[in-house]
Amino acid sequence: MNILIQVIFGLLSALIVGAAMMAVTVRNIIHAALWLIACFFGVGALYLLLEAEFIAVVQVLIYVGAVSILILFAIMLTRQIEGARHLVTGWRLWVTIAICVALFATVLVPTLLSHNWNVPPPVIAEGSDLPAEPLAGAAELGRDFVFVYLLHFQVTGVLLTMALIGAIVIAFEERARRRRVLTLAEEHALREQKKNRGTEEQENR
Amino acid sequence: MYDMLYNLINVVFGFNWPTWLISLIGHAAVAAILFAVAPFQMLFLTYYERRAIARMQDRVGPNRVGPEGIFQPIADGVKMFTKEDIVPKAADRWVHLIAPCVVVAPTMFMFAVVPWGPGMVPVDLNVGLLFFFAISSISAVGLMMAGWASNNKFALLGAMRSVAQMVSYEIPAILSLLAIVMITGTLSIVSIIDAQAGLFINSVDLPGVPDWGLGWFIFTPVGFLAFFCFFIAALAEGERTPFDIPEADSEIVAGYMTEYSGMKFGLFYLAQYVLNFLLCGMTAIIFFGGWQGPGVNWLYSQAISPANPEGMWLFNVLAGVLGVFYFLAKTYFFFFVMIWIRGAYPRLRVDQLMDFGWKFLIPLTLVNMLSAAIWVGLTRWGAAEGLAFIEGWSAGVRWGVAFALTLIINLATYIMMARIYAASQAARSRLELEELRDLAAMSR
Repeated sequence: MNILIQVIFGLLSALIVGAAMMAVTVRNIIHAALWLIACFFGVGALYLLLEAEFIAVVQVLIYVGAVSILILFAIMLTRQIEGARHLVTGWRLWVTIAICVALFATVLVPTLLSHNWNVPPPVIAEGSDLPAEPLAGAAELGRDFVFVYLLHFQVTGVLLTMALIGAIVIAFEERARRRRVLTLAEEHALREQKKNRGTEEQENR
Repeated sequence: MYDMLYNLINVVFGFNWPTWLISLIGHAAVAAILFAVAPFQMLFLTYYERRAIARMQDRVGPNRVGPEGIFQPIADGVKMFTKEDIVPKAADRWVHLIAPCVVVAPTMFMFAVVPWGPGMVPVDLNVGLLFFFAISSISAVGLMMAGWASNNKFALLGAMRSVAQMVSYEIPAILSLLAIVMITGTLSIVSIIDAQAGLFINSVDLPGVPDWGLGWFIFTPVGFLAFFCFFIAALAEGERTPFDIPEADSEIVAGYMTEYSGMKFGLFYLAQYVLNFLLCGMTAIIFFGGWQGPGVNWLYSQAISPANPEGMWLFNVLAGVLGVFYFLAKTYFFFFVMIWIRGAYPRLRVDQLMDFGWKFLIPLTLVNMLSAAIWVGLTRWGAAEGLAFIEGWSAGVRWGVAFALTLIINLATYIMMARIYAASQAARSRLELEELRDLAAMSR
């Protein structure tokens, strides 16, 4: 079983790293977005390999199903943003790299230093099937959210509600300012009306 | 599957293959069976739909190829394969090629968690229900790719419409299922089916109910409203007729499929029918008990299963056949309802579609979740959870009170919402008419 998992892990990481590299090097921005989606999907598969099924499914649901769609929508609805004009060069490039590395390190380093490595896998007793609760099951996560991490959970909830209300405020338009787009038939009817009136006025003269 | 192969290869033949190879072979075999089943379902469903819709429109339908036209889908398949594959000159070749695969692959993936009969599930994932809907949302990416890569205005419009529709109708679909998940307390599809034993009353709610395999969620007010919302959302997800705006042939040719021909077009077609089959199957599984039906549980209790290793293999076959029969009968019935709706209703407008999803279905499903919470509280909870006053009631009384209370809440909400929605729609069309009249007066 171990060899198979090693092989699958190798393939998946190759996919993730390759897709991520393509996402930042490809010129066409739509292709970059598509490679990014492939990268998201690979990460989801990696979670599945770790038997964190819930996280894997949520990764696919949120990143592949929603975030990537948002990215694609945003790109497709804006015109003329591709091309190499935005390439940063000279000393600015080095500053950018330094900032990016620093930001990435602030996220990664504390995790790497404080993480307890080499956790032994849960021992499965002879005869019984699987441990009663998987390591990162949906039930455990839910329990932790309402007991251990309640504050974080509620702060996230408030943040998302604010975002939702903000979106509604931005998208809201008053009825009076809305201009109705006429259908072809209505436009035609209007034009006919105008024409008829024009001929009537001529006849009256 | 794994045990069977292990016995066959290492014990009977004595090859002593490593365990990972055997589990790989086992999974590959199951996947191969499913990949064969899916296209056959699609072939059958196209024939079924064409005959049924023909009967509704007072025609005969395909009746020339083979007896009663039964080989028509095969002839169609041959036609698809032999047609020329045209790629527009200005299209993005690679994305244009990959898009149909990205649309088809998720629908095949979704078969991985669908149980066909008792003990007949490829993978019993403990988050199976979520997996199903997460995977189905991937195909939206494929639709976007198809629409963009074709370099065609109609295709892009169709892709935008279909993605907007899928994203907004996923919410009521998942919210209505969440009510059922709250009642069962699990996301595993197998456990949701197991929880539907009983006779009109769920045997989980009322122990001692005779088990006829009829304790479906549709018989509870919560389940009924959830079914109502879920089935409408499923029609929109599968792009069935009242919601077939993305491929409205009278407006935008064929939507995102406009620039596809030959087998690539066939793949889109395949994905759509397989998705519809799966959505009907999911409706049958979650609200109508899937393979549950009179006799299946009794047969399965005599068969070889993890709970009963000394059973008879004959009962395995019988329980499997009966279970699959019930499941497919329910699924085909719901597919028939989809065809029926196609024969009966005209297409919605885009703004009507969005209004209906966001302003009618979502509030309804949210209230339904409240009802589900009340149901769980009244039937399962006791003094430990802070509901000491129902401690003395018997299971029957608890069930009755929960039924009456949720029925009142759901019915009242439905009637109120329907009235508000109808009034708002009427007001809107009146305003639009007035606007038009003003416009005409202005140009005078």
